[in-house]
Amino acid sequence: MDLLFLTEVVLSGLMTGVMYSLVALGFVLIFKASGIFNFAQGVLALFAALALYDFLAPEGWFNQLFGFTLPVPLAIIATAGVMVVVAWLIERLVLRHLVNQEGIILFMATIGLAYVLEGTGDLLFGSDVKPLDIGLPRGASDQLLDQYGLYIEKLEIVAAVTAALLVTVLAIFFQKTRIGRALRAVADDHQAALSVGISLRTIWVIVWAVAGIVALVAGIMWGSKSGVQFSLSLIALKALPVLILGGFTSVPGAIVGGLIIGVGEKLAEIYIGPFVGGAIENWFAYMLALAFLLFRPQGLFGEKIIERV
Amino acid sequence: MSESARNLAKTNGVMLSVEQISLSFGGVQALKDVSFEIREGEIGAIIGPNGAGKSSMLNVINGFYHPQKGLITYRGVARKQMRPHEAARQGIARTFQNIALFKGMSTLDNIMTGRNTMMRRGLLWQALRAGPALKEELAHREKVEQVIDFLEIQHIRKTPVGRLPYGLQKRVELGRALAAEPTMLLLDEPMAGMNVEEKEDMSRFILDVNQEFGTTIVLIEHDMGVVMDISDHVVVLDYGRKIGDGTPAEVRGNRDVIDAYLGVSHD
Amino acid sequence: MLYRETGQFKSSYTADQAIFPIAQDRWGLLATLAIAVFVVPLVIDDYLVNAVLLPFLIFSLAALGLNILTGYCGQLSLGTGAFMAVGAYATYKLVTAFPDLNLIIVVLLSGAVTAAVGVLFGLPSLRIKGFYLAVATLAAQFFLIWLFYKVPWFNNYNMTGQITMPTEYLFGIQVTGPGAAPTARYLFCLGIVVVFALVAKNIVRGRVGREWMAIRDMDIAAEIIGIKPLQAKLSAFAVSSFYVGMAGSLYFGVWLGAAEPGEAFGIDRSFLVLFMIIIGGLGSIVGNFFGAAFLILLPLLLKNLMVDGLAMEVVTAKHIEIVAMGTLIIFFLIVEPHGLARLWQITKEKLRLWPFPH
Repeated sequence: MDLLFLTEVVLSGLMTGVMYSLVALGFVLIFKASGIFNFAQGVLALFAALALYDFLAPEGWFNQLFGFTLPVPLAIIATAGVMVVVAWLIERLVLRHLVNQEGIILFMATIGLAYVLEGTGDLLFGSDVKPLDIGLPRGASDQLLDQYGLYIEKLEIVAAVTAALLVTVLAIFFQKTRIGRALRAVADDHQAALSVGISLRTIWVIVWAVAGIVALVAGIMWGSKSGVQFSLSLIALKALPVLILGGFTSVPGAIVGGLIIGVGEKLAEIYIGPFVGGAIENWFAYMLALAFLLFRPQGLFGEKIIERV
Repeated sequence: MSESARNLAKTNGVMLSVEQISLSFGGVQALKDVSFEIREGEIGAIIGPNGAGKSSMLNVINGFYHPQKGLITYRGVARKQMRPHEAARQGIARTFQNIALFKGMSTLDNIMTGRNTMMRRGLLWQALRAGPALKEELAHREKVEQVIDFLEIQHIRKTPVGRLPYGLQKRVELGRALAAEPTMLLLDEPMAGMNVEEKEDMSRFILDVNQEFGTTIVLIEHDMGVVMDISDHVVVLDYGRKIGDGTPAEVRGNRDVIDAYLGVSHD
Repeated sequence: MLYRETGQFKSSYTADQAIFPIAQDRWGLLATLAIAVFVVPLVIDDYLVNAVLLPFLIFSLAALGLNILTGYCGQLSLGTGAFMAVGAYATYKLVTAFPDLNLIIVVLLSGAVTAAVGVLFGLPSLRIKGFYLAVATLAAQFFLIWLFYKVPWFNNYNMTGQITMPTEYLFGIQVTGPGAAPTARYLFCLGIVVVFALVAKNIVRGRVGREWMAIRDMDIAAEIIGIKPLQAKLSAFAVSSFYVGMAGSLYFGVWLGAAEPGEAFGIDRSFLVLFMIIIGGLGSIVGNFFGAAFLILLPLLLKNLMVDGLAMEVVTAKHIEIVAMGTLIIFFLIVEPHGLARLWQITKEKLRLWPFPH
């Protein structure tokens, strides 16, 4: 077995895993704070990437309305603003009316939301593939290539670093701030949180906005890598096995889970794939998660479910 | 002699006996070395301050919790732990502190589920319905209607239980337990949240069940008046240990029990 | 005034437990059936059958299946598309291996095969609940579609990757394959759907249905009163998959005639059926028909309105359709989470009082 090749595969898997983790992070945020499993997280990433592209591209609405495109830093801030508005709309039009419904109803509402966002995104921005270039470094890292003979893309290194930063910031946010505490209260029990004066609505807008911004980061990374296209929303489906491994409520879990899935997938494709005809990346992550669930239903970091009667 | 008759003879009239039951969850010790006996046909009450481990004790008896230590002897057969459906099939039925009814179904359907363990007809007969499955359904429906008559809930037969007021829900839950024609009935705070009239009705039902069908009853209850009035035998728990065991009169005068309830500080 | 129950007393439990205790309901159903069997065939053509009637019947059957699993037993499944594929491929293998096998037997066997597969993928439900179970069904969805693509035995080593339904006859009348009369195809599906709707209603009214609902409402309590979760959940998976498999068989065999795994049975199909049971009403038998009708007719109406009426591009219309579906789902979940079935029930209750206000 070629050790160098193996290292490359593992590292590549880790990098892909980080990308998955970025999407999974958004899920964890929303679930932690509102108990909702947001199926639309992937579509949010797509929508964010589309909006960002629009601010940057000459053929976008923004340029057509105002006559100029935004420089990258401003465009990112503007898109973040758009995601905040989207979060506000989601709270106002959907979440507010579904307080205290069961989890399955909320989940299905987010499926509906995913459809709405997807269709709207397509209508506003068109469904062709768009290249996203915000100045992130491209190509393989020359250093690593020359020194160690490893082919690793610079973009993926940037993604890894960004993810690490994001996780640190979010962890601090949840544990140390007053709002973070309120978010955790809301995740536990909507009605109890209301009764101690926490404004459910404000919290939800905040959470969905933060998730939206996380989605933006994920969208930027994925979009830079493979262009902004519909398949971005399908990444969300990959995030599910990540969450199962890492637990639905754990930020570090999302990272670890993502890494495991990323590496697992790559290894399976390279080493098992050829025997069964290839393309097992489609379902391998799910089977892995399923196997995991059978032994540890709450994931690696999730809270153990104690049944009460 | 049949096996069950042999068992009963072995039991000397003791329906249930728990010995040295210890139960803990992680670091919390819910029960420590609890032992007592419930005789056949008696009404036994388990009382004690909040958090004493009373519900946990019931949960151990019907197999929902598994004790780390101790023995449960039911109808002459000793075991280290029960399994819920074993308990159900051997004639133990129960109600719950927080009402565990099936909120999506009607009163009638809920009580019918109490008879599910006795219904045998398989899926294919169910699909056809006419014939054996229907006959079985009707036979059980008759029994269930008898329970409904007994508990005077005819008027809410078809109402989804989620819409019923608390007191009626508790009655339906009792109905579901009775429909199983249990040998032993475990009642977890059957009178919680009821007013005086409702408590009187519930007490009457419990006494009737005990007297008419000979059902052994174990109940957890906070209302001392009720406990003293209807029970034959009282077991007192505090902080997971047994601190009293005897007739209502004996327990009433027990110093430890009085201390526990009045809240004398423990060192 | 029309819909009164006065004078209709039940003197036996049988009468009380009938599917339609109220006489007017019975007449209404018989009338609908009579129209469906005798009147409709007189007015149908290929278009109506292909665009409306067959998809309506087939998706009603699939919805019946999914509703049993998700609506009655509370086990969320996102693998409906893949299970329809199992039914379709089972049908294909059966008719190509045994061309003289009775078509009804083929459909039933396809259902049975799917039931077995369903039970296999349902085994995790004994350990896993809720969303986690949804992931297990997604595993089934992706894995099975991959399987049908990759393993050439399934499409009889056909280069195109497609499976095509050969011509089959039932009692001398051609039901599948090109040239089959619309009436024949329609009545075949109608017969199966009516029979199995009745079967479903029978099952959910009895012991098994109550077990499913008990597991759905509070599985811990169900276990404590003696219901075996293993049997209940697996029987739900089995029956549900049987129905979905039959739907897949008809979908491929009678309606489309040809299929490719990803396109015909992908995850969008799973969502479509899920939406049908949400809009139609979880835990309802009649609701499945409402939901299927709604989600079959709506895109048609939208398309006619937008593409033909307002001269929009097909692509744009498709996007608007997606937005509309999503909005409808959210709307129903907010306004009436119990779906059209509940609205129908409320309408009937109001009708009983009409023309009096209360």
